[in-house]
Amino acid sequence: MYCVRSLCHRYLAKLSSVGSISDEKTCEKLRGLIQRQVQLCKRNLEVMDAVRRGAQIAIDECQYQFRNRRWNCSTLETVPVFGKVVTQGTREAAFVYAISAASVAFAVTRACSSGELEKCGCDRNVHGFSPEGFQWSGCSDNIAYGVAFSQSFVDVRERGKGQSSSRALMNLHNNEAGRKAILSNMRVECKCHGVSGSCELKTCWKAMPPFRKVGNVIKEKFDGATEVEQRKIGSTKVLVPRNSQFKPHTDEDLVYLDPSPDFCDYDPRTPGMLGTAGRHCNKTSKAIDGCELMCCGRGFHTEEVEVVDRCSCKFHWCCYVKCKQCRKMVEMHTCR
Amino acid sequence: MKMAGAIIENMSTKKLLIVGVILLLFQVFSFMVGGLIAPSPTTAVPYIATKCVDVVHHNQRKNKWFTPWGPNQCNKIRDFEEATAKRIEANNIVFAVHIPGPNKEMSAWFQFMLVILQFDIAFKMYNQIDDGAVVTIDVGLAYRDDSVSEWTEMAHSIEQRKLSCNFTTEKTIENEGRYYECDLLPFMEVGNVAHKYYLLNIRLPVNERKQVNIGIGEIKDIRLVGIHQNGGFTKVWFAMKTFLTPSILIIMIWYWRRITLMTRPPVLLEKMIFALGLSMTFINIPVEWFSVGFNWTWMLLFGDIRQGIFYAMLLSFWIIFCGEHLMDQTERNRFSVYWKQIGPIVFGSFCLFIFDMCERGVQLKNPFFSIWASEVGTELAMAFIIVAGICACLYFLFLCFMVYQVFRNISGKRSSLPAMTRARRLHYEGLIFRFKFLMLVTLACAAMTVIFFIISQVNEGHWHWGDYTVQVNSAFFTGIYGMWNLYVFALLFLYAPSHKQYGDGQSNGDQGANSGEDIQLTTTITHVDGPTEIYKMTGKESQE
Repeated sequence: MYCVRSLCHRYLAKLSSVGSISDEKTCEKLRGLIQRQVQLCKRNLEVMDAVRRGAQIAIDECQYQFRNRRWNCSTLETVPVFGKVVTQGTREAAFVYAISAASVAFAVTRACSSGELEKCGCDRNVHGFSPEGFQWSGCSDNIAYGVAFSQSFVDVRERGKGQSSSRALMNLHNNEAGRKAILSNMRVECKCHGVSGSCELKTCWKAMPPFRKVGNVIKEKFDGATEVEQRKIGSTKVLVPRNSQFKPHTDEDLVYLDPSPDFCDYDPRTPGMLGTAGRHCNKTSKAIDGCELMCCGRGFHTEEVEVVDRCSCKFHWCCYVKCKQCRKMVEMHTCR
Repeated sequence: MKMAGAIIENMSTKKLLIVGVILLLFQVFSFMVGGLIAPSPTTAVPYIATKCVDVVHHNQRKNKWFTPWGPNQCNKIRDFEEATAKRIEANNIVFAVHIPGPNKEMSAWFQFMLVILQFDIAFKMYNQIDDGAVVTIDVGLAYRDDSVSEWTEMAHSIEQRKLSCNFTTEKTIENEGRYYECDLLPFMEVGNVAHKYYLLNIRLPVNERKQVNIGIGEIKDIRLVGIHQNGGFTKVWFAMKTFLTPSILIIMIWYWRRITLMTRPPVLLEKMIFALGLSMTFINIPVEWFSVGFNWTWMLLFGDIRQGIFYAMLLSFWIIFCGEHLMDQTERNRFSVYWKQIGPIVFGSFCLFIFDMCERGVQLKNPFFSIWASEVGTELAMAFIIVAGICACLYFLFLCFMVYQVFRNISGKRSSLPAMTRARRLHYEGLIFRFKFLMLVTLACAAMTVIFFIISQVNEGHWHWGDYTVQVNSAFFTGIYGMWNLYVFALLFLYAPSHKQYGDGQSNGDQGANSGEDIQLTTTITHVDGPTEIYKMTGKESQE
């Protein structure tokens, strides 16, 4: 396994594992945050809890989306990071950046809706003349606040390093693409409440998609990501597709600079590059989760194991399941 | 003639144009008020319910309220995995929503508050939503006016809502954890917002023996959307009403004075126009001002009734106006003649009234009531709406037929116009002009209403124009409201009887020669103002 750019996202993993961020001291103790982020943390203490949850859902979603691939995202939180930073701008890095930017926006927006945050878009005047804010014209959508916060908190890491590096450009682009995955998938819902419930009066609002949906969208973008290179146009540096025959990428597409390694073998020099030895695979599948591809042609062990499964269960909507235990024998394939 | 020489007939084209331009200016103004000053009419605020844990089961004890945040907040859990780990059961979970969010206050200017309910239900292979699953919701609503005092209960109810969810992807193990797409459920409607803070506590009690809340899938979250009118819009709206009421009232008094000054009693059409003015004033009178000071929950229902009366009156007016301009020598001028056409309007409005009473009327007692929640209620509501729809269709058929008849008669009269005497010709030309003018104006107003309605439905609500933001929806409301007010105003003004005195010196011979036709003419005229009628007509002609 392979941590994309270990140091850069260690802060997410770190964040997701701390208990709660209650005072300014905690901000300083958080390792992995850069100075500007520590300042933001101190200024927005109440939001940091949401950021922490965002980090957790990003990791969960990444692991879900990549559960059947050679690189399965699982080491983000556990790999100790030593020495040289892995600076490759691969597809996987693009995905991790996009999903983390999206998850911070998502979690902050959610926190707004559950009343955990006090600011949430109401402190800014949305429609120009808004003398009394909420009382006069209501607040702007929470998502605007969530996205803005994600922009300031996540993107600041890249902005600090200066705009010029191609890696910073790639990261910023992918962060934005991640947030776009939420914004362009907002569901518009409407309610008619005119005379006798007619649509003479209709109110519409935008509802955030479930995060699984966001993950799916970003995964699709991962599959169709564009390989780019930096080019200078005028005085600004921009990313353009390496293959000029490809049509240029949009704001919603993921971009990457370097081709991914095959993730097959363990490489002690590259932290996180654990290889696929020991991974489970699917014997019948021809796709990437099939044993042929997953094990990189090294072959696989097959063993028969007894699995205890739940069956004929009774459920309540929450927290209560009464099941019988069923045992069955399953063939398990593991890469050599 | 029916309305002895209305002002519109005796007005010169120049004056008519001036009136038209003035009205148009007001029209533009009313659109601008909504588009530029007012914010959007309503706001939707999304809420995610906080999951509170009821450590000791408080069901039996005196009311205890669970506050999601702020001082004295409840014991919360983040998600239900945590609950499972802590062995907390479904019956101990209370979903709490505080309306509005932190650092905000509700206000009486919001006029109403309605809340929509949505469940986030994750797909689980072995815990799917049953067909026709019904959720039983135990819900309480409380309020307080400062952030420290105790909550006071406003309503409590046990409601049932039918879950209509579908899972768009394949139902496989792979897709576990994706959410169902569930329809919005109507949840609560309160007719005024008299308090600063509201609190909703929702429980989903499980009872296996009675099969309550079994087979509703794995609920992840409860989301609510609170909709209320924007304070800014309410203020602009009230200001508009306060300005319009005296305008229509003054023109109504002027109109009625003109009618009483005449020697004849008013004819049906004149009474109808007056009634239309009355119903417009009824809508205009800004009684809503009281809702800011008093806790009147019936304002929403009252507003519906007022609008209903105006619509019914407007529709009746069109029918009667057409009928009185039929020019087919039959005596009408009585309300009872029109029962066939008015009947559907009355019946349709009555159906909608009953429906509204069943929905908003009952909501006065129980804000969580929804007629759509129960099977019988849905059928009943649909029946009322369908009957009202049929009535509306019937009405429009009648109206179209009548307009067609009028046009047929007009073209019939057109061909015979040159052969008529001048007095008779002028009479018919006046009728035709009056009819065509109203027809044109009405069609324009109706078209405007429809066009703006469509724009406001399709559009997302506001347009950006450089630095300006135009609130299309607000412009629609103020503009259309202003338009129908101007319509009624113009009717009262232009169709008021004219008192213009024409030269008395007219040749008697002319009158004598016409007498044969005049007798025939009077059959279509019910209350001729004595001989002055003919004088006027012939007078006008002689002036020209």
